Amino acid sequence: MAKVGVYVCHCGSNIAGVVDVAAVREYAETLPDVVVSREYLFMCSDPGQELIRKDIKDGLVDRVVVAACTPRTHEPIFRKALESAGLNKYFFEMANIRDQDSWVHGDDHAGATRKAKQLVASAVAKAANLEALEDTYVDVTQAAMVVGGGVAGIFAALDLANMGHKVYLVEKEPSIGGVMAQLDKTFPTNDCSACILTPIMVEVGTHPNIEMLTYAEVEDVDGYIGNFKVKVRKKQTYVDWTKCTGCGACAEACPAKVPDSFNCGMNDRGAAYIHFPQAVPKKAVVDMKHCLNCAGHKIGQEPRISKKTGEPMLAPCEKACAADAINRSLPWNPEGELIEIEVGTVVLATGYRVMEKEHFKEYAPDSPNVLTALQMERLISATGPTGGKLLRPSDGKKPKVLDFISCVGSRDIRHHTYCSRVCCMYMIKQARLLMEKYPDLEIYMHFIDVRTPGKDFDEYYTHAAEMGIHFIKGKPGGIEMLPDDRLRVLGYDSAMGENIEVDADLVILATAIELPEDAQKLAQKFSMTMDGSGFFKELHPKLKPVDTPIEGVFLAGCCQGPKDIPDTVAQAKAAAASAAIPLAQKRVKIEPILSEVYPEKCSGCGICVPLCPYNAISLKPYADRPRAVIDMTQCKGCGVCASACPSGAIILHGYTDDQIYSQIAALTQSA
Amino acid sequence: MEKCGLYLGCNIPFKAPDIEQSLRQVFPPLGVEVVDLPGASCCPAWGTAPSFDIDTWLALSARNIALAEKQGVDVMTGCNSCFGVLSEAKHVIDASAAKKDVVNEKLATIDSAYAGSSKIYHIGHILHEKIGTEKIKKNLRYSLDGLTAAVQPGCHLLWPTKSMEVTEENPFFPTMLSDLCGALGLRAPTYSNIEACCGMGAMRSTDQEKSFILAKEKLVRMKEELNPDMIVTTCSSCYLQLDGAQKIFRDRGEIDFEIPVFYYTQLLALCMGADPAEVACISDTPRAAIIAEIQSEQRRMK
Amino acid sequence: MPTVNLTQMNTHEIIQKVVEFGGDGVVKCIQCGACASICPVSHAGFPLFCKQLIRKVQTGYEEEILDDPSTWACVACNRCVEVCPRGVNPTEVIFAFRRIQANELAISTSSLMSQSNLYEKGHAVLSGESKKLRVKVGLPENPPTSVNDEKAQKEIQTLLDNSPMADLGIF
Repeated sequence: MAKVGVYVCHCGSNIAGVVDVAAVREYAETLPDVVVSREYLFMCSDPGQELIRKDIKDGLVDRVVVAACTPRTHEPIFRKALESAGLNKYFFEMANIRDQDSWVHGDDHAGATRKAKQLVASAVAKAANLEALEDTYVDVTQAAMVVGGGVAGIFAALDLANMGHKVYLVEKEPSIGGVMAQLDKTFPTNDCSACILTPIMVEVGTHPNIEMLTYAEVEDVDGYIGNFKVKVRKKQTYVDWTKCTGCGACAEACPAKVPDSFNCGMNDRGAAYIHFPQAVPKKAVVDMKHCLNCAGHKIGQEPRISKKTGEPMLAPCEKACAADAINRSLPWNPEGELIEIEVGTVVLATGYRVMEKEHFKEYAPDSPNVLTALQMERLISATGPTGGKLLRPSDGKKPKVLDFISCVGSRDIRHHTYCSRVCCMYMIKQARLLMEKYPDLEIYMHFIDVRTPGKDFDEYYTHAAEMGIHFIKGKPGGIEMLPDDRLRVLGYDSAMGENIEVDADLVILATAIELPEDAQKLAQKFSMTMDGSGFFKELHPKLKPVDTPIEGVFLAGCCQGPKDIPDTVAQAKAAAASAAIPLAQKRVKIEPILSEVYPEKCSGCGICVPLCPYNAISLKPYADRPRAVIDMTQCKGCGVCASACPSGAIILHGYTDDQIYSQIAALTQSA
Repeated sequence: MEKCGLYLGCNIPFKAPDIEQSLRQVFPPLGVEVVDLPGASCCPAWGTAPSFDIDTWLALSARNIALAEKQGVDVMTGCNSCFGVLSEAKHVIDASAAKKDVVNEKLATIDSAYAGSSKIYHIGHILHEKIGTEKIKKNLRYSLDGLTAAVQPGCHLLWPTKSMEVTEENPFFPTMLSDLCGALGLRAPTYSNIEACCGMGAMRSTDQEKSFILAKEKLVRMKEELNPDMIVTTCSSCYLQLDGAQKIFRDRGEIDFEIPVFYYTQLLALCMGADPAEVACISDTPRAAIIAEIQSEQRRMK
Repeated sequence: MPTVNLTQMNTHEIIQKVVEFGGDGVVKCIQCGACASICPVSHAGFPLFCKQLIRKVQTGYEEEILDDPSTWACVACNRCVEVCPRGVNPTEVIFAFRRIQANELAISTSSLMSQSNLYEKGHAVLSGESKKLRVKVGLPENPPTSVNDEKAQKEIQTLLDNSPMADLGIF
């Protein structure tokens, strides 16, 4: 006979404010197998856990039910309490009477109390049928992968590498650097982005523990914490990187014209190009989609022979390459190279993109003088399309009046409801830099609210106002195009309570930060869950900010939500520290909530094999015929096989038929 | 030949019947048979039932739409306001089965019923989307080559896109009416406040002088930016405002220019050879000179 | 304007009323100002345009603004609906307030004329000149609408008689 102890938690007023906790406790006392029932303000606190430990040690109980919050965060805590009192920790069951009861039935106290009783009865019924289970351990592959080579990925990789771990840094572009490499200067200290980032990029490039896989993308992921197998596709560069010196001669020679994504499409690059001048690694790639096949020399073919000279006719990029790194006659495989990498942990740092202006029809997206703020960064950057000179795109003349619009696509139910967090500050930064460089400019900035919550941020903002930058509280609802290519911004000044207009040479839209589509695809490969804003969801917003529902996979940077550089670096270092824990522990625990086949009952029908979403089941010979076997390291305990098995040969430990039927029986009896 | 129900509204049949005449004349040669909707009432105008009670508005609009449904045709309106009211009513009713029931309960008292089978178009949409500029070009007898127009699409043809059957690619920078003008050989460039309101309708009846602030700004910018030979609109309210208010501004000495105003189908009818005495004879700002120019021998197409 | 004591305002009641009359977006407004910046009513200089009306309702104003004619200047252009980032549908809020005003008969005499025209002939706008003009352009004296159609007029009167508008004694 099991001796079940029931412990009902008030959770402060979270539960007790709705559910009649005393009534639930009293009801629990009446349930079969229950020997003691208690209540406490916070069961998860030390005095709360002590109630459980004491009852176990006193021999009073040998099965524990806690009616409290969610097992997602608190089950491990209570299991530890059982373990420390000498009881098998799987003799524990939790009834979630907070998230699934008091929080959702706040307007029906009686109903919520009734539901709490039923949930407790169900947990007690299961507890009586629990079996003792043992954890197992597997070794951890001593390497980590960081996906994304922006500032988040760079710092995560560096910290892991400096701890002595082997790190694979995967980046889809030819160079690491990310969006930060595109920025001119950074708030609130106005230090140059390139000056602070490029030395660190070099450090990554030369670190003995870091293997950079740039121009590469994750194709597939398999495995589990400690033993991930990641397939990475190294895209075809059509340049022999072992020979390429990054001199850039091929890029200069290439006659193709492709909008330069690094400069946000404001100028053209060649089909042969180097990502940007400070690229790491500084290697050329040929973008074959836009290659013109000069001199009729297609990839993989022998060059044509000139009738005049009798010499082979080479493409300009080939001719220009002194290192012989471009040889178009070689049979390049367009698919690139697929490699499989084994790692123990993964940090996802895939970054963000800013929305393009085309989404905002009311803001004259067809005008070349309407820019996104990232385009503005390139326009004022010394490495940008104008060499850092502020010129109006429509005519190349110096503008006199600039107008900035904030919350373009952010805080907007038509696009994204969240605040992109960095726009206010980078707009003010751009305005300040421009005012310092061109004091005769008139700069107007429209905000719904100015949000400057970071360290030294508000001082940065108020100084901008003192510099003569005009701050207007009110979101413009439209832009009219004037005949001379200027733009009339239709605004409203909430402080004055009046309509206002600005006739601007340039309009800069602070477009929202969002997760790019390729990151959404990556999310599926890693089985990430997404939050309401479309970013990767952390396991707990406060207590597990870099963890994910997939153990061993961690998050850093803007893929988890918009943030500035200081926050990104802090999160990257946190993710690196978390990702290092399993590597340092060298082995990870596998919980025994797994499926197991009783080979004697198995008919070998094989129904379970294709059903398993984790490819954990195979048929292996046993006695007279092949029967199902489950690989414990692959099984995630989902239970699909157990529910499908026609012979009842598969058991999911922790969720056996007996346990579940007893729960159903308890739930269907009215409390 | 495709049939379409001509919903007249109030302004066109009572204040500008030459527009009605132009509508009746241009569509048949372009392959659209104009079907009358006998017994149609006011849409009802924004200032009437929609300003008192939602369900009463919806019932009155639904009654009008049901007249088209009964004949199995879509609705086309010449008046932007009517287009806005009927589109919005249809949008609200079609979005909710409960609303549809309420409306049909009311309509049952007058032996009518709303199904939702007829679409609501503006005549501009029929011309641009169903007929198309190529077909228009083939039916012209006079070309407006070398002339410039300032176009006024009018608010209700642009927004709200969520309740409209046909929308501009970018409603804040509309191009449909410029395209239609282009079909006549007319140059119709955009100008800075092409999307802005003329101030007609409820605003003019609430405070004429305030409404004139918008009308004058519109006219002055048209004049300064385009110096047009004419103004072309697809909104009967804009037509009345830009034509009538313009004369008042001149009489008061507030402006010193004169730009004749046409409703688009008036201009189209003239280009197709219609009699100006039937299709373009009621205006405050004189149009005789430009009409003579339009239908002059040298503009006759071979 | 004297100081407004917010603790003495009853915000709940008027917001409830506006919601009931179709302006449920009023509670979503964050006063960003986008609607005001492109509002013809605001441009023309009327004091109680979309943003101001919404704020005053959010603050609890009702009687104080009941007689303001600004709402009646709204041409329902719906540009505010198109640019509002919060799904407020400002036009609907304006019309909800108009309905509150109309039901208190806080409306102009010219508006009353439109209502009785609608009731009598099915047309809000009529013109004494119309028959002459129509004949001049070669059209019949009357268009094929309710204006000369007793059955249609009766239908419209039935719909209006069975509506809340009938209780106001405006027909």
